[in-house]
Amino acid sequence: MVVIVQQFPIPEGKTGQQVVDMLIKQFEAMAFNRIGNFVVDCETYYSSPTITPPRVLNIIHNSDFPASCFAQLDTGTCLRADSYFDAMMMVLNGIYQAKRGTKIESKGPKFQKGDFVVKIGSVSIGPSFRGILIEIEYGPCSVPLYCWDLLKEFMKSFMKVPKEPPPYLKAKMGEICTPTDIISQYNIHFTNLRKATPIASCPPPLTVKGSSNEVQNNGDMA
Amino acid sequence: MTSNPKLIPQQEYILQGSINDSAVEMLLHRLQGLCDNADDPTETFLDREYIYSIKNPSGQAVMLRVRQDLERKDYPWHLRYLGQPEIGDKTRATLVRSCIDVACSNNVCKFLTEMGFKKDYEFYSKGYMFKKGRLKVIVAKIFHVPTSEVGQQQPVFADSNVQTVTQSYLVEVSIVAPSGSDPLADEIKQFADQLKPLVNLEKIDPRRLA
Repeated sequence: MVVIVQQFPIPEGKTGQQVVDMLIKQFEAMAFNRIGNFVVDCETYYSSPTITPPRVLNIIHNSDFPASCFAQLDTGTCLRADSYFDAMMMVLNGIYQAKRGTKIESKGPKFQKGDFVVKIGSVSIGPSFRGILIEIEYGPCSVPLYCWDLLKEFMKSFMKVPKEPPPYLKAKMGEICTPTDIISQYNIHFTNLRKATPIASCPPPLTVKGSSNEVQNNGDMA
Repeated sequence: MTSNPKLIPQQEYILQGSINDSAVEMLLHRLQGLCDNADDPTETFLDREYIYSIKNPSGQAVMLRVRQDLERKDYPWHLRYLGQPEIGDKTRATLVRSCIDVACSNNVCKFLTEMGFKKDYEFYSKGYMFKKGRLKVIVAKIFHVPTSEVGQQQPVFADSNVQTVTQSYLVEVSIVAPSGSDPLADEIKQFADQLKPLVNLEKIDPRRLA
């Protein structure tokens, strides 16, 4: 399989939830079958001051690989391990410490049609919505170079596609795509989205001024 | 910290001993008769083990062990943490230590080094493994890693190339189980008693050997 993870832009005036709903309707209209939900979560650990050079360690889980845990350092090295690796992080408590409230996750529905699987992930840190990540998986091919044009063509049907593959994928165009590559792509997006300003996931409250009691309406803003 | 319901603390209940090279054949025959699958050929193993350590802010060293299977090269590597052994009183039949064993990819040494771990030492362990229910029995010989091979990812183990540490085999009988499974200690003790007088398995505190 070849997997590409792309950030889906949220047009001005739209909320994250509206864009997700629009995407879901679009895939349903394209005769995609909803095959369940997924979640990719990432917790960031920082090394203690005694460790030189200082390191950042991301512990990532993906519901599509439920028995695995991925540990990726800021150097790029990614360790694939049993999910029991989480217990190892408890042993290293004090040497590598997780910062509270930094756990980021992408979750949402997944769809399939033929050889393509599409996952629409709403990215959030706690209650704060950060953006939308779309994961596109093409099953029959293992090397991105051989199916990039096909992936591009497919992505064009629902989003703006860059001429060039994203930098991570571009560097590995001729190599076999592994689960580590999926995790690394998520990690890059998570790092960028952490820095991004929070976006409204729900439509902004409608305030009716002039009345004695201000009425808040969470209905559609369309 | 992630509250993962799968993270049930595991403990290793263990007794250790050693047997002289000249008597090991007898012990192997005895074990083959006592353990499961007596008709099958004895399972052998050849592992290379690397010991890494890192200091926590209070200056205490945390040790992790990496195990590479040299006989079955497509098997995953293993990363292990073994806690401080608890000797306990006379009523406790075995040594108990917390144990975390995680299968992982073969870049674990690079990963640990980049995390800030330092490699303390490495050795080969070659021997036989038996199972009896939940019990695991290991009879293994420890070898020095030749200086020329230290740090090599794909070492070549050859009898002509390696040097033994002692003229005896290490014998271990252990069970890894969720913490609080104390009756298992008696199960190990009963099994160990059946190996007497060939080998006396005891609670050995490695801190007292240092």
